[in-house]
Amino acid sequence: MRLSVVLVSAVSVFFLLPGQELPRAEFPVLTTSAGQSNDVVVLNILCEEAGVLYDYCDVPTVELIAAGVGLGGAQPGPGFHVEVHTDTKLYPIGTPYKTLLVAIGASLKGMGASGLTVETEIARLKAVLSYAKEQGILVVGFHIGGQTARGAPGSENELMIDTVAPYVDVLVVTKDSNFDDRFTKLAEERKIPLVIVDYAVDVIPVLKALFGLQ
Amino acid sequence: MQGKLGGLMSINRATCIKILLIVVASVVTGLGASQLWHHRHYKTPVVLGPGVTRVGSLSEYCPSLRGTLADALVFYLEGGEEGGVALLLGNSHPNEPAGFLASLVYIENAVVKKGTVIVIPFLNRSASCYTRPGDGYPLFFSIATPWGERIFRMGNREASPLDQWPDPDVYVHYPEGQLLSFVDARNINRAWPGRPDGLLMERVAYAVMELIRKRKVDVVIDFHEAETLYPVTNCIVAPEKSARIATLTALWIKPKEGFDCHVEPSPVGFRGLSHREIGDYSDAFPFLLEAPIPFLDQPTGPKTEELLLTGKDPFLLRLARRGRLFVPYDEDGWSIDRRVGQHLSVSLEILNQFSKVFPSKSISVVNVPKYADLIRFGLGSYLSDPATLPPDCVVYQ
Repeated sequence: MRLSVVLVSAVSVFFLLPGQELPRAEFPVLTTSAGQSNDVVVLNILCEEAGVLYDYCDVPTVELIAAGVGLGGAQPGPGFHVEVHTDTKLYPIGTPYKTLLVAIGASLKGMGASGLTVETEIARLKAVLSYAKEQGILVVGFHIGGQTARGAPGSENELMIDTVAPYVDVLVVTKDSNFDDRFTKLAEERKIPLVIVDYAVDVIPVLKALFGLQ
Repeated sequence: MQGKLGGLMSINRATCIKILLIVVASVVTGLGASQLWHHRHYKTPVVLGPGVTRVGSLSEYCPSLRGTLADALVFYLEGGEEGGVALLLGNSHPNEPAGFLASLVYIENAVVKKGTVIVIPFLNRSASCYTRPGDGYPLFFSIATPWGERIFRMGNREASPLDQWPDPDVYVHYPEGQLLSFVDARNINRAWPGRPDGLLMERVAYAVMELIRKRKVDVVIDFHEAETLYPVTNCIVAPEKSARIATLTALWIKPKEGFDCHVEPSPVGFRGLSHREIGDYSDAFPFLLEAPIPFLDQPTGPKTEELLLTGKDPFLLRLARRGRLFVPYDEDGWSIDRRVGQHLSVSLEILNQFSKVFPSKSISVVNVPKYADLIRFGLGSYLSDPATLPPDCVVYQ
């Protein structure tokens, strides 16, 4: 596989497949999980480190996404997390989301805590991601959990990748996550940009580049 | 006459056999007892390194511990500049010795530039004086150093019943009221936050909580080890309030130090654990570190000192090849150098990330070796020779 160096900062390097360019992501941003693993918490922290202000819901519905910034005033509860960090002076409550950041990684414990099964999580994701595509929301998929967040074909983690892959506009993965070139093949098939980073912390400059923050 | 003599002889033979059996049993019991007595009364030396400014004890914070085998030494390493306060706990479970050894490396090497580091290397001192003979645990283990061997006592998970007895039928956690296994009444990591008039372990936990509150401790790091067949291993366990610092630590450890470490959330519904109760009952940010210890896994060969120190086991290797372990495992095992090195690097990174998030409470520590140092030079290179030092530079516990 031939890779091209896209960005060299003082601390890190990340790679795109030849001929590919990163699209420009726009605010406001919603972060969410595909599979309810802890990786979405990691993604949120990476966003904060990159200076990307976001709203977060681990199990958003179409209605919540349609409500825009503030997620319709939804309140957190057991197995349901909501955080609103978007700058509401720039993007008032109700402003439609322009970018959806999806952390891919399955946790049976996490899905169970949210009252989901693998099947209902897949159905929820399909509905939400279809809506995002209809609304022209940029969908960025992240797989930063490494090899431990992968599995045999048909396993929970692979099912989450299968579910999200048809909808993403960009994939950002760690080298460990792509150990078998699964994401390289997906990106080539779908002709979407694939960003490969050495370590999860290297996602910080990727987020800065995506959102034009320096 | 002959009949009487024959009877006397047969009585004598029977009596002789009985006496012989009593003597053999007494010798065997005596030998075993003397080993256990030596184990319980062995004094472990701790060398006061260049950063130690004061040595105190837990009974300063809970006077009823004074005179008991649960009163543990507290080492203060105070920097010249004001900053945050970190508390390091070793030997919560003395059968997980990497935590104790990591805390010892801090005491014997660290110099604090800013803030304060407080170290309690024998948190469950009673459990460090107790063993698990039924499991064939070694009573002692030694670490090779450039000047010879340094000997340490191998302890147990729970406090000795000689110090806390009797066990309840069911252990009711205070103050949450959760029902726990009877044996956990002697487990310090089910006794947090403790109480001043409770069981011995509850009083130890209370003393530490008082220290945390009175010294305004910001960060508590509780060093542990866990089986390779247990999913909560090679990780930082953190409650919600510590999750951000723990996650940043885990994110930076791999690129900086070259080993994996993930974050496990502290369950809200499981009470008595340091990573839950210290956070809930004080302003401190608690973290519990787990390094993988093959010695504690069940399907291993004999529980020898070699297994404890090298972590090499053929049965675990076969399980690893079948993908049954929760950590990478190969012929190199998981040595004590590696486990202590992980604890040192992860704890230093936690202090670094805490200092970034709270710059006004930053804690700066130098002269503590990291993972790569221990892999290259070995743990023994960072342990001093107590015999060559003046008496006021060494304390014993």
